[in-house]
Amino acid sequence: MISLVGKNILRMAFFVLIQGMVLNRIDLWQGFILPFIYILGLLMLPLNTPRLLVLVAGFATGLAVDTFSSTAGLHTSACLVLAFFIPIVSKVLSPREGYEAGQRPTLHDLGWGWYLSYAGTLTLIHHFWLFFMEQFRLTPFFSTLAKVLLSGAVTLLLLIISQYLIHSSKDRRNA
Amino acid sequence: MRSLWQLIFRYHVFLVFLILQGLAISMLVRNNNFHHNAYISSSSRLTGYFYDKRSILAEYLRLQKVNEELARENALLRSEQPQAFLQLGDHIYLFEDTLYLRQYEFLPARVVNNSVNRVRNFITIDKGSRNGLSTGMGVACRGSVVGVVKDVSEHYATVMPLINNGFTISVKLARTQAFGRVEWDGKDPTLARVVEVPRYANPTKGDTLVTTGYSAYFPEGLMVGFVEDYRIPEGENFYEIDIRLSTQYYQLSYVEVIQNRLAEEQLELETLNTEADD
Repeated sequence: MISLVGKNILRMAFFVLIQGMVLNRIDLWQGFILPFIYILGLLMLPLNTPRLLVLVAGFATGLAVDTFSSTAGLHTSACLVLAFFIPIVSKVLSPREGYEAGQRPTLHDLGWGWYLSYAGTLTLIHHFWLFFMEQFRLTPFFSTLAKVLLSGAVTLLLLIISQYLIHSSKDRRNA
Repeated sequence: MRSLWQLIFRYHVFLVFLILQGLAISMLVRNNNFHHNAYISSSSRLTGYFYDKRSILAEYLRLQKVNEELARENALLRSEQPQAFLQLGDHIYLFEDTLYLRQYEFLPARVVNNSVNRVRNFITIDKGSRNGLSTGMGVACRGSVVGVVKDVSEHYATVMPLINNGFTISVKLARTQAFGRVEWDGKDPTLARVVEVPRYANPTKGDTLVTTGYSAYFPEGLMVGFVEDYRIPEGENFYEIDIRLSTQYYQLSYVEVIQNRLAEEQLELETLNTEADD
Protein backbone atom coordinates (compact mmCIF):
# COMPACT_ATOMS: atom_id res chain seq x y z
CA MET A 1 0.00 0.00 0.00
CA ILE A 2 2.77 2.37 1.00
CA SER A 3 4.63 1.59 -2.19
CA LEU A 4 1.49 2.29 -4.20
CA VAL A 5 1.09 5.72 -2.58
CA GLY A 6 4.80 6.43 -2.93
CA LYS A 7 4.78 5.37 -6.55
CA ASN A 8 1.92 7.71 -7.37
CA ILE A 9 3.52 10.63 -5.54
CA LEU A 10 6.82 10.03 -7.33
CA ARG A 11 5.04 9.84 -10.66
CA MET A 12 3.28 13.14 -10.03
CA ALA A 13 6.53 14.80 -8.96
CA PHE A 14 8.27 13.45 -12.07
CA PHE A 15 5.70 14.87 -14.45
CA VAL A 16 5.65 18.21 -12.64
CA LEU A 17 9.42 18.45 -13.06
CA ILE A 18 9.21 17.53 -16.74
CA GLN A 19 6.60 20.25 -17.12
CA GLY A 20 8.55 22.88 -15.22
CA MET A 21 11.97 22.19 -16.70
CA VAL A 22 11.20 21.26 -20.28
CA LEU A 23 7.65 21.71 -21.49
CA ASN A 24 7.12 25.19 -20.07
CA ARG A 25 9.83 26.32 -22.47
CA ILE A 26 8.04 25.02 -25.50
CA ASP A 27 6.43 27.74 -27.51
CA LEU A 28 4.89 26.71 -30.80
CA TRP A 29 2.84 28.95 -33.00
CA GLN A 30 3.12 32.13 -30.92
CA GLY A 31 1.87 30.57 -27.73
CA PHE A 32 -1.10 28.81 -29.27
CA ILE A 33 0.33 25.40 -28.44
CA LEU A 34 1.24 24.91 -24.79
CA PRO A 35 1.18 21.25 -23.84
CA PHE A 36 0.60 20.35 -20.20
CA ILE A 37 1.79 16.80 -19.73
CA TYR A 38 1.82 17.07 -15.93
CA ILE A 39 -1.85 16.10 -15.78
CA LEU A 40 -0.74 12.54 -16.54
CA GLY A 41 0.35 12.20 -12.90
CA LEU A 42 -3.28 12.73 -11.93
CA LEU A 43 -4.80 10.75 -14.80
CA MET A 44 -2.79 7.70 -13.73
CA LEU A 45 -4.07 7.64 -10.15
CA PRO A 46 -5.62 4.23 -9.42
CA LEU A 47 -9.27 3.99 -10.43
CA ASN A 48 -10.46 3.31 -6.90
CA THR A 49 -8.67 6.28 -5.27
CA PRO A 50 -11.04 8.04 -2.82
CA ARG A 51 -12.41 11.24 -4.36
CA LEU A 52 -11.09 13.41 -1.53
CA LEU A 53 -7.61 12.05 -2.09
CA VAL A 54 -7.82 12.83 -5.79
CA LEU A 55 -8.76 16.41 -4.91
CA VAL A 56 -5.82 16.73 -2.51
CA ALA A 57 -3.47 15.29 -5.13
CA GLY A 58 -4.82 17.74 -7.69
CA PHE A 59 -4.33 20.64 -5.31
CA ALA A 60 -0.74 19.63 -4.57
CA THR A 61 0.13 19.08 -8.23
CA GLY A 62 -1.35 22.42 -9.25
CA LEU A 63 0.49 24.21 -6.48
CA ALA A 64 3.79 22.64 -7.55
CA VAL A 65 3.30 23.61 -11.21
CA ASP A 66 2.31 27.12 -10.16
CA THR A 67 5.52 27.41 -8.19
CA PHE A 68 7.44 26.69 -11.36
CA SER A 69 5.64 29.12 -13.59
CA SER A 70 4.91 31.94 -11.08
CA THR A 71 1.22 31.65 -11.77
CA ALA A 72 -0.06 31.33 -8.22
CA GLY A 73 -3.47 29.71 -8.22
CA LEU A 74 -3.88 29.24 -11.96
CA HIS A 75 -2.83 25.61 -12.31
CA THR A 76 -4.11 24.87 -8.81
CA SER A 77 -7.55 25.94 -9.90
CA ALA A 78 -7.42 23.98 -13.16
CA CYS A 79 -6.06 20.88 -11.45
CA LEU A 80 -8.84 20.98 -8.87
CA VAL A 81 -11.44 21.04 -11.61
CA LEU A 82 -9.62 18.17 -13.28
CA ALA A 83 -9.40 16.23 -10.01
CA PHE A 84 -13.08 16.79 -9.41
CA PHE A 85 -13.97 15.31 -12.79
CA ILE A 86 -11.54 12.38 -12.88
CA PRO A 87 -13.71 10.04 -10.74
CA ILE A 88 -16.86 11.20 -12.53
CA VAL A 89 -15.46 10.54 -15.99
CA SER A 90 -13.99 7.19 -15.01
CA LYS A 91 -17.34 6.19 -13.52
CA VAL A 92 -19.28 7.21 -16.63
CA LEU A 93 -16.88 5.25 -18.80
CA SER A 94 -16.82 2.15 -16.60
CA PRO A 95 -17.83 -1.12 -18.25
CA ARG A 96 -21.18 -2.57 -17.20
CA GLU A 97 -19.67 -5.03 -14.78
CA GLY A 98 -17.25 -2.43 -13.36
CA TYR A 99 -13.49 -2.33 -13.59
CA GLU A 100 -11.56 -5.49 -12.91
CA ALA A 101 -9.35 -5.52 -9.85
CA GLY A 102 -5.86 -4.31 -10.66
CA GLN A 103 -6.89 -2.52 -13.83
CA ARG A 104 -5.09 0.78 -14.20
CA PRO A 105 -6.34 3.78 -16.18
CA THR A 106 -3.86 3.25 -19.00
CA LEU A 107 -4.03 2.66 -22.72
CA HIS A 108 -2.50 -0.76 -22.18
CA ASP A 109 -5.04 -1.98 -19.63
CA LEU A 110 -8.25 -0.50 -21.00
CA GLY A 111 -7.70 0.01 -24.70
CA TRP A 112 -7.90 2.80 -27.25
CA GLY A 113 -11.58 3.64 -27.10
CA TRP A 114 -11.65 3.92 -23.36
CA TYR A 115 -8.38 5.80 -23.09
CA LEU A 116 -9.12 8.34 -25.80
CA SER A 117 -12.46 9.24 -24.26
CA TYR A 118 -11.01 9.30 -20.73
CA ALA A 119 -7.88 11.34 -21.45
CA GLY A 120 -9.54 13.40 -24.19
CA THR A 121 -12.46 14.56 -22.06
CA LEU A 122 -10.31 15.34 -19.04
CA THR A 123 -7.61 17.11 -21.06
CA LEU A 124 -10.28 19.27 -22.64
CA ILE A 125 -11.84 20.12 -19.26
CA HIS A 126 -8.47 20.99 -17.76
CA HIS A 127 -7.24 23.08 -20.69
CA PHE A 128 -10.53 24.87 -21.06
CA TRP A 129 -10.55 25.95 -17.45
CA LEU A 130 -6.86 26.81 -17.50
CA PHE A 131 -6.81 29.05 -20.54
CA PHE A 132 -9.99 30.88 -19.68
CA MET A 133 -8.86 31.43 -16.09
CA GLU A 134 -5.56 32.73 -17.42
CA GLN A 135 -7.40 35.23 -19.56
CA PHE A 136 -9.74 35.91 -16.62
CA ARG A 137 -12.43 37.06 -19.00
CA LEU A 138 -14.28 35.70 -21.99
CA THR A 139 -13.44 38.41 -24.49
CA PRO A 140 -11.03 36.99 -27.05
CA PHE A 141 -13.25 33.93 -27.00
CA PHE A 142 -12.25 32.25 -30.24
CA SER A 143 -8.51 32.74 -29.95
CA THR A 144 -8.63 31.34 -26.42
CA LEU A 145 -10.76 28.45 -27.64
CA ALA A 146 -8.23 27.81 -30.38
CA LYS A 147 -5.53 27.67 -27.71
CA VAL A 148 -7.58 25.17 -25.74
CA LEU A 149 -8.15 22.89 -28.72
CA LEU A 150 -4.66 23.06 -30.22
CA SER A 151 -2.85 22.68 -26.90
CA GLY A 152 -5.28 19.98 -25.86
CA ALA A 153 -4.59 17.99 -29.02
CA VAL A 154 -0.83 18.19 -28.46
CA THR A 155 -1.18 17.26 -24.79
CA LEU A 156 -3.30 14.26 -25.77
CA LEU A 157 -0.70 13.20 -28.31
CA LEU A 158 2.02 13.44 -25.65
CA LEU A 159 -0.14 11.48 -23.21
CA ILE A 160 -0.53 8.66 -25.71
CA ILE A 161 3.17 8.62 -26.54
CA SER A 162 4.07 8.49 -22.85
CA GLN A 163 1.67 5.57 -22.40
CA TYR A 164 3.86 3.61 -24.78
CA LEU A 165 7.05 4.75 -23.07
CA ILE A 166 5.77 3.74 -19.64
CA HIS A 167 4.68 0.34 -20.86
CA SER A 168 7.66 -0.57 -22.92
CA SER A 169 9.88 0.07 -19.90
CA LYS A 170 7.57 -1.97 -17.69
CA ASP A 171 7.48 -4.92 -20.06
CA ARG A 172 11.21 -4.99 -20.20
CA ARG A 173 11.40 -5.13 -16.43
CA ASN A 174 8.95 -8.00 -16.29
CA ALA A 175 10.69 -10.01 -18.96
CA MET B 1 -29.35 18.83 12.74
CA ARG B 2 -28.88 15.24 11.76
CA SER B 3 -30.14 15.84 8.29
CA LEU B 4 -27.73 18.75 7.95
CA TRP B 5 -24.82 16.47 8.77
CA GLN B 6 -26.16 13.95 6.32
CA LEU B 7 -26.33 16.64 3.69
CA ILE B 8 -22.79 17.77 4.41
CA PHE B 9 -21.56 14.21 4.33
CA ARG B 10 -23.33 13.52 1.09
CA TYR B 11 -21.73 16.47 -0.66
CA HIS B 12 -18.45 16.57 1.25
CA VAL B 13 -16.34 16.03 -1.89
CA PHE B 14 -17.99 18.95 -3.61
CA LEU B 15 -17.65 21.14 -0.50
CA VAL B 16 -13.94 20.40 -0.22
CA PHE B 17 -13.65 21.11 -3.93
CA LEU B 18 -15.34 24.49 -3.46
CA ILE B 19 -13.16 25.44 -0.51
CA LEU B 20 -9.90 24.53 -2.28
CA GLN B 21 -11.09 26.20 -5.47
CA GLY B 22 -11.84 29.37 -3.49
CA LEU B 23 -8.32 29.26 -2.11
CA ALA B 24 -6.83 28.83 -5.58
CA ILE B 25 -8.85 31.65 -7.08
CA SER B 26 -8.01 34.03 -4.24
CA MET B 27 -4.32 33.25 -4.87
CA LEU B 28 -4.85 33.90 -8.54
CA VAL B 29 -6.54 37.23 -7.94
CA ARG B 30 -3.92 38.34 -5.48
CA ASN B 31 -1.16 37.35 -7.88
CA ASN B 32 -2.60 39.53 -10.61
CA ASN B 33 -1.56 42.57 -8.65
CA PHE B 34 2.17 43.00 -8.26
CA HIS B 35 1.92 45.13 -5.16
CA HIS B 36 0.81 42.21 -3.11
CA ASN B 37 3.26 39.51 -2.32
CA ALA B 38 2.35 36.16 -3.68
CA TYR B 39 4.09 33.51 -1.72
CA ILE B 40 3.90 30.99 -4.49
CA SER B 41 6.23 32.08 -7.20
CA SER B 42 9.32 31.04 -8.99
CA SER B 43 11.42 33.20 -6.71
CA SER B 44 11.09 30.48 -4.12
CA ARG B 45 14.26 28.72 -3.18
CA LEU B 46 13.56 25.28 -4.55
CA THR B 47 12.38 26.24 -8.01
CA GLY B 48 15.02 28.92 -8.11
CA TYR B 49 17.61 26.21 -7.64
CA PHE B 50 16.25 24.12 -10.51
CA TYR B 51 15.97 27.11 -12.79
CA ASP B 52 19.51 28.10 -12.00
CA LYS B 53 20.81 24.71 -13.05
CA ARG B 54 18.84 24.76 -16.26
CA SER B 55 19.83 28.26 -17.13
CA ILE B 56 23.51 27.44 -16.63
CA LEU B 57 23.16 24.73 -19.24
CA ALA B 58 21.08 26.84 -21.59
CA GLU B 59 23.49 29.71 -21.21
CA TYR B 60 26.45 27.56 -22.06
CA LEU B 61 24.76 26.62 -25.29
CA ARG B 62 24.28 30.23 -26.26
CA LEU B 63 27.49 31.72 -24.92
CA GLN B 64 28.46 33.08 -28.27
CA LYS B 65 25.29 35.05 -28.61
CA VAL B 66 25.54 36.39 -25.07
CA ASN B 67 29.12 37.40 -25.73
CA GLU B 68 28.14 39.29 -28.80
CA GLU B 69 25.37 40.97 -26.89
CA LEU B 70 27.70 42.00 -24.08
CA ALA B 71 30.35 43.20 -26.48
CA ARG B 72 27.83 45.33 -28.28
CA GLU B 73 26.63 46.74 -25.00
CA ASN B 74 30.17 47.47 -23.88
CA ALA B 75 30.82 49.32 -27.07
CA LEU B 76 27.66 51.31 -26.60
CA LEU B 77 28.51 52.27 -23.03
CA ARG B 78 32.04 53.16 -23.96
CA SER B 79 30.96 55.47 -26.71
CA GLU B 80 28.27 57.09 -24.62
CA GLN B 81 30.24 57.55 -21.45
CA PRO B 82 33.89 58.00 -22.23
CA GLN B 83 34.77 59.69 -18.96
CA ALA B 84 35.05 57.39 -16.02
CA PHE B 85 32.85 54.55 -15.13
CA LEU B 86 34.45 51.71 -17.00
CA GLN B 87 37.65 52.29 -15.05
CA LEU B 88 36.01 51.66 -11.72
CA GLY B 89 35.41 48.01 -12.32
CA ASP B 90 32.14 48.39 -10.49
CA HIS B 91 28.60 47.40 -11.45
CA ILE B 92 27.10 50.67 -10.37
CA TYR B 93 27.14 53.80 -12.44
CA LEU B 94 25.40 57.13 -12.19
CA PHE B 95 22.33 57.91 -14.19
CA GLU B 96 21.35 61.42 -13.27
CA ASP B 97 23.46 63.71 -11.17
CA THR B 98 22.05 67.20 -11.51
CA LEU B 99 21.38 67.51 -7.79
CA TYR B 100 24.70 65.98 -6.84
CA LEU B 101 22.67 63.18 -5.38
CA ARG B 102 22.81 59.73 -6.82
CA GLN B 103 19.19 58.93 -7.54
CA TYR B 104 19.24 55.84 -9.72
CA GLU B 105 21.51 52.84 -9.40
CA PHE B 106 21.62 50.07 -11.95
CA LEU B 107 22.33 46.55 -10.83
CA PRO B 108 22.89 43.89 -13.50
CA ALA B 109 21.04 40.62 -13.12
CA ARG B 110 20.92 37.41 -15.11
CA VAL B 111 17.59 36.10 -16.37
CA VAL B 112 17.18 32.53 -15.16
CA ASN B 113 13.63 31.96 -16.33
CA ASN B 114 11.49 33.80 -18.81
CA SER B 115 8.09 33.22 -20.31
CA VAL B 116 6.69 35.08 -23.32
CA ASN B 117 3.81 32.93 -24.46
CA ARG B 118 1.39 33.37 -21.56
CA VAL B 119 -1.15 36.05 -20.89
CA ARG B 120 0.55 36.76 -17.59
CA ASN B 121 4.24 36.36 -18.25
CA PHE B 122 6.93 36.45 -15.60
CA ILE B 123 10.69 36.66 -15.54
CA THR B 124 12.92 35.25 -12.79
CA ILE B 125 16.30 36.90 -12.17
CA ASP B 126 19.25 35.81 -10.06
CA LYS B 127 19.37 38.77 -7.69
CA GLY B 128 17.32 38.96 -4.50
CA SER B 129 16.99 40.66 -1.16
CA ARG B 130 20.70 39.97 -0.52
CA ASN B 131 21.47 42.35 -3.35
CA GLY B 132 19.12 44.98 -2.03
CA LEU B 133 16.18 44.25 -4.32
CA SER B 134 12.66 44.91 -3.15
CA THR B 135 9.17 44.80 -4.62
CA GLY B 136 8.37 47.62 -7.00
CA MET B 137 11.83 48.33 -8.41
CA GLY B 138 12.03 48.94 -12.14
CA VAL B 139 13.82 46.55 -14.46
CA ALA B 140 15.34 47.63 -17.76
CA CYS B 141 17.46 46.16 -20.49
CA ARG B 142 19.81 48.37 -22.46
CA GLY B 143 17.87 51.54 -21.79
CA SER B 144 14.52 50.00 -22.48
CA VAL B 145 11.75 49.10 -20.03
CA VAL B 146 11.38 45.43 -19.09
CA GLY B 147 9.10 45.42 -16.03
CA VAL B 148 8.79 45.76 -12.29
CA VAL B 149 10.13 43.52 -9.52
CA LYS B 150 7.25 41.58 -8.02
CA ASP B 151 8.45 39.11 -5.40
CA VAL B 152 11.85 38.84 -3.81
CA SER B 153 13.50 35.93 -2.05
CA GLU B 154 17.01 35.82 -0.70
CA HIS B 155 18.73 35.05 -4.00
CA TYR B 156 16.07 35.45 -6.64
CA ALA B 157 13.35 37.81 -7.70
CA THR B 158 10.42 37.61 -10.08
CA VAL B 159 9.72 40.42 -12.48
CA MET B 160 6.33 41.29 -13.89
CA PRO B 161 7.19 42.39 -17.43
CA LEU B 162 5.32 44.80 -19.63
CA ILE B 163 4.02 41.76 -21.50
CA ASN B 164 1.80 40.75 -18.60
CA ASN B 165 -1.74 41.95 -18.90
CA GLY B 166 -1.72 43.03 -15.25
CA PHE B 167 0.98 45.59 -15.95
CA THR B 168 0.57 49.18 -16.99
CA ILE B 169 2.75 52.30 -16.89
CA SER B 170 2.42 55.81 -18.14
CA VAL B 171 4.48 56.80 -21.16
CA LYS B 172 4.94 59.87 -23.30
CA LEU B 173 5.77 60.57 -26.88
CA ALA B 174 9.35 61.79 -26.88
CA ARG B 175 8.64 64.36 -29.58
CA THR B 176 5.40 65.99 -28.40
CA GLN B 177 5.57 65.08 -24.69
CA ALA B 178 1.95 63.88 -24.74
CA PHE B 179 1.08 61.25 -22.18
CA GLY B 180 -0.64 57.92 -22.46
CA ARG B 181 -0.87 54.56 -20.81
CA VAL B 182 0.62 51.30 -22.13
CA GLU B 183 -1.45 48.14 -22.08
CA TRP B 184 -0.64 44.70 -23.37
CA ASP B 185 -3.45 42.53 -24.72
CA GLY B 186 -1.88 39.13 -24.05
CA LYS B 187 -1.13 38.22 -27.64
CA ASP B 188 2.08 39.23 -29.36
CA PRO B 189 5.12 39.82 -27.09
CA THR B 190 6.54 42.34 -29.56
CA LEU B 191 3.51 44.65 -29.73
CA ALA B 192 1.48 46.69 -27.25
CA ARG B 193 -1.06 49.48 -27.26
CA VAL B 194 -1.00 52.97 -25.80
CA VAL B 195 -4.38 54.38 -24.82
CA GLU B 196 -5.75 57.65 -23.50
CA VAL B 197 -3.40 59.74 -25.60
CA PRO B 198 -4.87 63.25 -25.99
CA ARG B 199 -5.60 64.74 -29.42
CA TYR B 200 -2.76 67.20 -29.29
CA ALA B 201 -0.30 64.31 -29.21
CA ASN B 202 -0.08 64.35 -33.00
CA PRO B 203 1.78 61.04 -33.36
CA THR B 204 3.56 59.93 -36.51
CA LYS B 205 4.82 56.53 -37.51
CA GLY B 206 8.17 55.71 -35.94
CA ASP B 207 7.88 58.15 -33.04
CA THR B 208 9.62 57.00 -29.87
CA LEU B 209 7.72 56.41 -26.65
CA VAL B 210 9.58 56.81 -23.38
CA THR B 211 8.78 56.59 -19.66
CA THR B 212 7.46 59.71 -17.95
CA GLY B 213 9.46 59.40 -14.73
CA TYR B 214 6.30 60.09 -12.76
CA SER B 215 6.21 56.73 -11.07
CA ALA B 216 8.87 55.87 -8.57
CA TYR B 217 9.85 52.80 -10.58
CA PHE B 218 11.52 54.20 -13.67
CA PRO B 219 13.65 57.23 -14.43
CA GLU B 220 12.39 59.53 -17.14
CA GLY B 221 13.23 58.75 -20.73
CA LEU B 222 13.64 54.98 -20.71
CA MET B 223 12.63 53.62 -24.10
CA VAL B 224 9.32 51.74 -24.33
CA GLY B 225 8.62 51.37 -28.02
CA PHE B 226 7.95 52.92 -31.42
CA VAL B 227 4.69 54.00 -33.01
CA GLU B 228 3.47 51.50 -35.59
CA ASP B 229 -0.04 52.70 -36.19
CA TYR B 230 -2.52 55.12 -34.61
CA ARG B 231 -6.17 56.01 -34.80
CA ILE B 232 -8.95 57.83 -32.98
CA PRO B 233 -11.78 55.34 -32.39
CA GLU B 234 -15.12 56.66 -33.48
CA GLY B 235 -16.88 58.78 -30.87
CA GLU B 236 -13.80 59.12 -28.70
CA ASN B 237 -11.47 61.92 -27.89
CA PHE B 238 -8.27 60.00 -27.45
CA TYR B 239 -5.76 58.34 -29.73
CA GLU B 240 -5.11 54.64 -29.63
CA ILE B 241 -1.54 53.91 -30.67
CA ASP B 242 -0.15 50.51 -31.62
CA ILE B 243 3.49 50.29 -30.70
CA ARG B 244 6.36 47.92 -31.33
CA LEU B 245 8.11 47.25 -28.02
CA SER B 246 11.79 48.11 -27.88
CA THR B 247 12.58 45.26 -25.46
CA GLN B 248 13.01 41.90 -27.14
CA TYR B 249 11.51 39.54 -24.62
CA TYR B 250 12.37 36.48 -26.66
CA GLN B 251 16.06 37.05 -26.15
CA LEU B 252 16.44 38.49 -22.66
CA SER B 253 19.54 37.23 -20.92
CA TYR B 254 20.83 40.11 -18.84
CA VAL B 255 18.76 42.93 -17.38
CA GLU B 256 19.39 45.86 -15.06
CA VAL B 257 17.45 46.45 -11.89
CA ILE B 258 16.89 50.12 -11.20
CA GLN B 259 17.10 51.23 -7.61
CA ASN B 260 15.59 54.62 -7.07
CA ARG B 261 17.08 55.98 -3.87
CA LEU B 262 14.34 58.54 -3.57
CA ALA B 263 11.49 56.11 -4.25
CA GLU B 264 10.57 55.68 -0.62
CA GLU B 265 10.49 59.41 -0.03
CA GLN B 266 8.29 59.96 -3.08
CA LEU B 267 5.88 57.16 -2.22
CA GLU B 268 5.61 58.28 1.39
CA LEU B 269 4.76 61.78 0.31
CA GLU B 270 2.24 60.54 -2.22
CA THR B 271 0.43 58.32 0.27
CA LEU B 272 -0.28 61.43 2.30
CA ASN B 273 -2.41 62.59 -0.62
CA THR B 274 -4.41 59.42 -0.91
CA GLU B 275 -4.98 59.33 2.82
CA ALA B 276 -6.28 62.88 2.71
CA ASP B 277 -8.66 61.89 -0.08
CA ASP B 278 -10.16 59.04 1.87
